[in-house]
Amino acid sequence: MIADEQTLSRLAGNAQKGDRRAYATLLEESQGWLRRYFRRRIGPGQLDDLVQDVLLSLHAKLGTYDAKRPFLPWLAAIARYRWVDHLRRVYRNEEVTIEGFDFAEDPEQEVVAARISLERLFEYLPEGQARAIELVKIEGQSVREAAEQSGQSESLIKVNVHRGLKKLAALVEKAD
Amino acid sequence: MNEPSKTPHKDPLIDALVGDLRPVRVMKRRDGVLLVLGALAVTVAGGALWIGLRADLMSGGASPLYVIVHGLLLLLGLAAASAVVVMASPQVGAHHDAPKWAMAMVALLPLAAIATSLASGAGAEALFDRQHDLNCLTHGVGYSLLVGVVLFYWLKRGAPVSQSQAGLYLGTAAGALGIFAYGLTCPLEAMNHLGIWHVMPVAIGALVGRFAIPPLLRW
Repeated sequence: MIADEQTLSRLAGNAQKGDRRAYATLLEESQGWLRRYFRRRIGPGQLDDLVQDVLLSLHAKLGTYDAKRPFLPWLAAIARYRWVDHLRRVYRNEEVTIEGFDFAEDPEQEVVAARISLERLFEYLPEGQARAIELVKIEGQSVREAAEQSGQSESLIKVNVHRGLKKLAALVEKAD
Repeated sequence: MNEPSKTPHKDPLIDALVGDLRPVRVMKRRDGVLLVLGALAVTVAGGALWIGLRADLMSGGASPLYVIVHGLLLLLGLAAASAVVVMASPQVGAHHDAPKWAMAMVALLPLAAIATSLASGAGAEALFDRQHDLNCLTHGVGYSLLVGVVLFYWLKRGAPVSQSQAGLYLGTAAGALGIFAYGLTCPLEAMNHLGIWHVMPVAIGALVGRFAIPPLLRW
């Protein structure tokens, strides 16, 4: 079952006070949500690592959550930050594929997820930059392969990846 | 809502994190604002003790231009500092654009100083009085340090995800509040002095904050 936003906020508030039962539930719910959140924007081989990174960040930065505010936009901001960081670090020579997936199973979650999804970030990028990042950083293609597939030159692919990641980093909170 | 299991979870990471949980000190915005105001108060008090505040400050003897310039600097500093305090707690959907408008307003001051100097026929040399101008510049930068350190500490405790912007606002806030504090001791009121040399510490703070601070904020 997927907890609603109000429940997640309450769980996070209790976890801040040291309630381990609430924290365990919060982490389980967050883990499931993050898996759905990332699945289309990260290679399957990297999904577990990224979700773990975000859970560790959640643990380290739990004190920055304001229990009077919705929990998921806070978690999503951390998730996006870790995701951009991840894209910068990995995938250089890996062959990974994208799986189809159903993003949200609950109507209320669907609305929240749509507002804060990673897709929204890509909408702010020029098409060339988004395509270059998808091919090189998410699908794991080489620069040459990405150039052949997209019709961009190899140097343009490199420039677009660099500029696109820089722009994504600046959009973490803004693109809602 | 699922009841949490009393047996170990399938994921050992969750077990480890739950086992490691301790009550956390929640970062409240009010605390951040109070820290900044405290740092500003200490800076103003330090300047008052070291140099002494303008004698005409409380009697209303300062010129309207002086009041407007330092009022704008104070507002810019508070707007940027507030944004920094908020940015320590990330939130998708948060926009931190208010300080940009305050920055644009303060950016009019040097333009006005240059325009009035040129229009009066005084030329560019009227914008530069080595002794007083450099004095204000160096003191303004120096007075910005405490606010800058406090904001940096706040961000390091927090989880800023828009680090370039956070660095820019940190430097802007520190510079604006620093020169505001020093301005309370400065007897000069000419537009060519206030518009250039009381704004330059803000620009220096913004540049340092934008380019030197973000790498230090990574987490």
